[in-house]
Amino acid sequence: MAKARAKAKAKRVQDLKPPRAADAAAWFKENIALQKKRYAAIVKEQNGLERDRQKWYANFLRIIQTKGFNANGDLRVKIPANLIPKKPKGRSRVVF
Amino acid sequence: MARPHIEPFVELNEPFLKFDVGGFKGSHYKVLSLDTDTGACSLKVRFDGGYKRKPGLHYSDLEVFVLNGEIKVGDQVWREGHYAMVPAGYALGAISVPKGAEALLYFNDSEPHFEESGDSHELTLKEAFKSLNSYEDMPWGPGNLVTPSVATGCLIKVLHYDPLTEALSFLYCMTPEFAQDNISYHDSAEESYHIWGTSWMMQFGELPTGGYFWRPAYINHGAFRCKLGTIAFGRTDSKLHNYFHYNPWTNPKQNLLRAAAQVYRQRPLLYQWQASDGHNHPHGPPDFQYPGYYEKNPNIRALHGHFGGESDERDSRDAPMKLPKKKAKAKK
Repeated sequence: MAKARAKAKAKRVQDLKPPRAADAAAWFKENIALQKKRYAAIVKEQNGLERDRQKWYANFLRIIQTKGFNANGDLRVKIPANLIPKKPKGRSRVVF
Repeated sequence: MARPHIEPFVELNEPFLKFDVGGFKGSHYKVLSLDTDTGACSLKVRFDGGYKRKPGLHYSDLEVFVLNGEIKVGDQVWREGHYAMVPAGYALGAISVPKGAEALLYFNDSEPHFEESGDSHELTLKEAFKSLNSYEDMPWGPGNLVTPSVATGCLIKVLHYDPLTEALSFLYCMTPEFAQDNISYHDSAEESYHIWGTSWMMQFGELPTGGYFWRPAYINHGAFRCKLGTIAFGRTDSKLHNYFHYNPWTNPKQNLLRAAAQVYRQRPLLYQWQASDGHNHPHGPPDFQYPGYYEKNPNIRALHGHFGGESDERDSRDAPMKLPKKKAKAKK
């Protein structure tokens, strides 16, 4: 009866998913832990690129003043020097 | 927290793990990204030669992209480049993999699971099932699907479009010497797997064959370069809009506020209704690219009376966004 009521209320198949089975729960838990490690490794690796990244940023800021910035498709707009952003204090972050 | 920002992740450097979940025994997997709340996930799966499974269904939408090998599904054979959208509750025919195959599997709603069944669930959106070979059955189209658009040299094949959320699944390629000099972000999460080729993004460096990312909304990426060409499978979880700019140091909160500022300028009535209800704050959020926008608007000046004050400054910092309070129901 309870099952029939739940079925009648549900609008999507997803809402009727049976509770997580033990094997799926174990899989889930294990992979959350692995993903945490993977995320930490990515952050470490990306922090190591900071010096290169600042060079890439400088090159980009030069290109948008000379060749132009892709505003839409192939339409390029040259950005005047007074509008070029300046690096804020502190370490920049790319992985959030 | 849904899925974390996984970028870049080169799965070819990682080992496959044994897949011991019902319906997948006889295969191996790598998690590309995983939603830690729902279990929704993106996987690379290796089906070993001899893998078999009876007909059955999942309680999650499932997307499949075959990377190599052959997978027999009911009376179909899915080969390299095959894409399938299998709606939740849709009963797939018996599966067999005689010689081994690798595929990307995307469980959009919950963790991998399987229920043996010859019939689809009665609530299944059967008409959403899609099965085609993306390499052979569709032509490449220009990448200017949305405006503002990517530069010429990025081509696309839209494989799936969700009419409700406008989420997309697509094959895309970047031609040799592709270049785009802007920084982009979106309102949607974006995900990609490099089937072949290396491209470069100014924040993250090179993404080679086997490279993957899951990037939450409002995170800067680009400028872009691709020396020799790349073919990739990509997805978004909602409408794709390109916000382009040239400030490499903005954070997701600033980008989000800038996106909201665009809504304010382009659909002011909608913005007012959504954001200002109960807030009495008639100007939009700060936009780092147009910092003086509100200050120059005499109507807003007259209505609001202050600019650049502490409250405006506070809004642009990397703090959780406050949602408008719900109005208390009026007592009869």
